[in-house]
Amino acid sequence: MATGPLALSARGVRMEYRDRKADTALVAIEEMDLDVGDGEFVSLLGPSGCGKSTFLKIVNGLLLSSAGEIKLRTVAKGREDAMVFQDAALFPWYSVLDNVAYGLVCAGVARDEARKRAMPFIDLVGIGGFEHKYPYQLSGGMQQRANLARALTVDASILLMDEPFAALDAQTREVMQSELLRIWNAARKTVIFVTHQIDEAVYLSDRVVVMSARPGRILADIPIDLGRPRELDVKRSPEFASYESQIWKLLASQHQRPAIGSPSAEA
Amino acid sequence: MAAGQAPVGRPLLRRVARLGLANERIFYGVLGFVGVSLIWEITSNLGLFRRSLLSSPSLIWGAAAADFGSGTIWPHITTSLTEWGIGFVTALAIGIPLGLTIGTFRRVDYFLSVLLSGMYSTPKAALLPLIILVAGIGLQSKVIMVFLLAFFSVVVSIVVWVHSVSERHLDIARSFGASRWLAFRSVVLPSTVPFVLAGIRIAAGRALVGVVIAELVSANEGIGFYISFFGTFLDTSRVMLGVVLLGLFGIVLGEVIRSFEKRFDVWRPEIR
Repeated sequence: MATGPLALSARGVRMEYRDRKADTALVAIEEMDLDVGDGEFVSLLGPSGCGKSTFLKIVNGLLLSSAGEIKLRTVAKGREDAMVFQDAALFPWYSVLDNVAYGLVCAGVARDEARKRAMPFIDLVGIGGFEHKYPYQLSGGMQQRANLARALTVDASILLMDEPFAALDAQTREVMQSELLRIWNAARKTVIFVTHQIDEAVYLSDRVVVMSARPGRILADIPIDLGRPRELDVKRSPEFASYESQIWKLLASQHQRPAIGSPSAEA
Repeated sequence: MAAGQAPVGRPLLRRVARLGLANERIFYGVLGFVGVSLIWEITSNLGLFRRSLLSSPSLIWGAAAADFGSGTIWPHITTSLTEWGIGFVTALAIGIPLGLTIGTFRRVDYFLSVLLSGMYSTPKAALLPLIILVAGIGLQSKVIMVFLLAFFSVVVSIVVWVHSVSERHLDIARSFGASRWLAFRSVVLPSTVPFVLAGIRIAAGRALVGVVIAELVSANEGIGFYISFFGTFLDTSRVMLGVVLLGLFGIVLGEVIRSFEKRFDVWRPEIR
């Protein structure tokens, strides 16, 4: 469990989608209590449709929960949280620079100033020199770096990452994982990272929160004690393997439940 | 093939071929136009049909030389262009903002939906007798006709494209707290502009239809009038000349708007 000052505290968060005509409700998240400490890296892991992305959207304010409350640590200026979206999340009509600066422009910063402030983050995520390219000229990995840079640029205290590497190939994904740890170390953010990949969650996180199949609730909250900083070869260690198998067993127990398809919950 | 011909003939052929490959669109376009004209000319000279009814390219060319030479055709051209220009620009000036408003605000959409879809599918020519009663047979009735034909295609195409703006992109704007106006400028406009231009290109063509319909029914000047006037005298070459001029105007217009479309498409590699 989180110790010290909290960056996020969620209590009794519930999400259901009502179908008025059929008078039924699809419960995406049954009930979620979650505390995330300041500077912590927490992964939400679960099968698709378990409501993990939905939870992020509720934290971000893109969705309103049906019940419960979420408290974010209030910050003096800027945003409390910023989202790193799944694939294809850059505006194709903006250059990389304008995409990265977009969060600041939304916050009312003048365009030139926003561009100036975006530049260091473009360098930080390792795409310096590509700021005047358009997204279609970048590889998938580089697009996700820009996506990350946009969220970092607004200097929010919490980064919400919604399966950011899901669309990348295996090698690029590993590179991006270790890059993310480097950037996290440099930027000192709280991260809530949604994924359905066990090794990704274990490698990155201080804690892995395992969620059940729909309706989503928390099955286990597992602290990952692998030390920091972590290199990629930690994935070959026996401790890593034992975390993986522990989580795998938890998730496998969920497979027996019939999955109910829903278009809206995991979009 | 004779040995002496090769060095002269081959590079020339190759140069023509290379030119054709470099500007394939233009090359084949011209080839098609010239080819069909040539077939028309030959068949009409062979007496396969009555030249007095279907004319021929050389006769049309002769009519063009005569009427452009004497200058008698210019008032008709400027009249039609004026009617088209006023009607079309008015349709854009009202249609674009209205389309964007309807696309953005759900209730405005509902409020106008019956009126708009009704008017969009009504053949506007059916309104012409009423328009002439109200606005007379001068410039006004033509401008109204042009406006009606262009306006609804502009509005409808813009509404469709605003509605097809990616939810994902709008989510990004919302997520970072963009104001409604910023979301509109940064997401809705850039994702619709290329398609709006395509809608405008179609509307420009329909506006031209409006000019001709209105002039055919009642006018004393304009290309539509020119066509119907010489039609009654069985001067089919001048009738055809009118049609060719309309076609030329349509082509030029399409190319101009297409060049705008390309300028807005720098971020979309597949179109270039």
